[in-house]
Amino acid sequence: MGYTLVYTQVLEFFPYLIRGALISLQIAILAFFGGMFFGLIFATIRTFGNKLMNSMVIWYVTFFTNTPQLVQIYFLFFALPEFGILLSPFIAVLLGMTLNAAAYLCEIQRAGFLSIRQNELDAAKTLNFTLTQQVKYVILPHIMKVLFPPLSNHYIIMTLGTSMAAIFGVEELTGRAFNINSETFRSVEIFSLTALVYIVITFIATFLLAVIGRYFFKAKMRIIQ
Amino acid sequence: MERLLEEIPSFFTIWNIIFLGKAMGVTFLLTAIGCFVGFSVGGLLAIFRKTKSLILLPLRFFIVIYTEIFRRIPFLVSLLLMFYVFQILKISDNLFLIATITVCLIATAYIGEIIESINQTQWDAAEAMNFSYFQILKEVIFPQAWKVILPPAFSFFIMFIKDTALASQIGVMELTFAAKILNNKGFSPLLSFGTILILYFILSFPLDRFGKYMEKRLVENRN
Repeated sequence: MGYTLVYTQVLEFFPYLIRGALISLQIAILAFFGGMFFGLIFATIRTFGNKLMNSMVIWYVTFFTNTPQLVQIYFLFFALPEFGILLSPFIAVLLGMTLNAAAYLCEIQRAGFLSIRQNELDAAKTLNFTLTQQVKYVILPHIMKVLFPPLSNHYIIMTLGTSMAAIFGVEELTGRAFNINSETFRSVEIFSLTALVYIVITFIATFLLAVIGRYFFKAKMRIIQ
Repeated sequence: MERLLEEIPSFFTIWNIIFLGKAMGVTFLLTAIGCFVGFSVGGLLAIFRKTKSLILLPLRFFIVIYTEIFRRIPFLVSLLLMFYVFQILKISDNLFLIATITVCLIATAYIGEIIESINQTQWDAAEAMNFSYFQILKEVIFPQAWKVILPPAFSFFIMFIKDTALASQIGVMELTFAAKILNNKGFSPLLSFGTILILYFILSFPLDRFGKYMEKRLVENRN
């Protein structure tokens, strides 16, 4: 045996690690909103589009939700240069995560669209609501209430997913943990510290999202499941 | 593109196919063991979380902490942490074992959580009818809960098929690692990674379809 955990050496790198966490958050947020944007387009096609476009989106979603994100990024990073498209690690990871997120968020947003009932729209029309009023008072509150919990859940999953960026050499939280590991060889210490940072940042995110969800959208959200 | 077409016959040799088939087996095995343990232990945890006695309070507290923590650490980080813990404690250097244990730990946390939250309404209803803890288990949960749990179980299985791709980072010989080896041997990344993307798809697509079918049937039965 003869191994003692020594954290002093690793703790010196703590500020460096935290700055890495900011990069992780940056990737997560950018990929999330990118995914939201494309997911919204796809969800609109799924709901209102013609048959051909509809089935294309269905295949896109099925493909991306059934293959690992890691391999998708590998593909983007290593196979695209064969066609002369060279992506930097950061861009490759961001693109891979966005494409992947678009598939999941399309499904989530479509479920939100479907949750609006025709009766409610009819009722709003009967009460002589204009279209903007319908969107503002009937459609949006309803959609946000249904959508907010799964969306925030997916955001947390994506924050954890950013750790994959380390494999491609992006210096985010896990990537910096790799660097510190190769410098100090305090492997268990550094990775347990990294795990703790992940727990803290996702917990803060869950807390903030639950507060926003409860007070703005009246969604049923718990901080601790 | 022409180079790629030339490469295809040398890529799909019998040895490479056996190699990829074995790797696919490892991916499946890793997922299957993880999900089996996840379901058994996760189910137990979910049941224990519903107990009311004061003596078991530390246990309930531990379960909540466990599920919260393991659902907030990226799989890659927990895998590496487990890898180094095994190394310093000199328990074993079997990489497959390390990956399996990590998958089991994470699966238990995720699946325990989902089982618990799915059955909440049933527990509430049964409690309102003054059923005791064991009555609820015997009369409500065991006879019918599995029907509710099964459809999301498929999506969890798929989730873990995808997550095990990260096990390639500690060197477990599964699909992604196999593709990396083929790529290092000089085959085009387009071919090696493209092939395993399709293999992953073949592995999880039937499960995805079957899960959706079960879900649909369940909703129809309910109405």
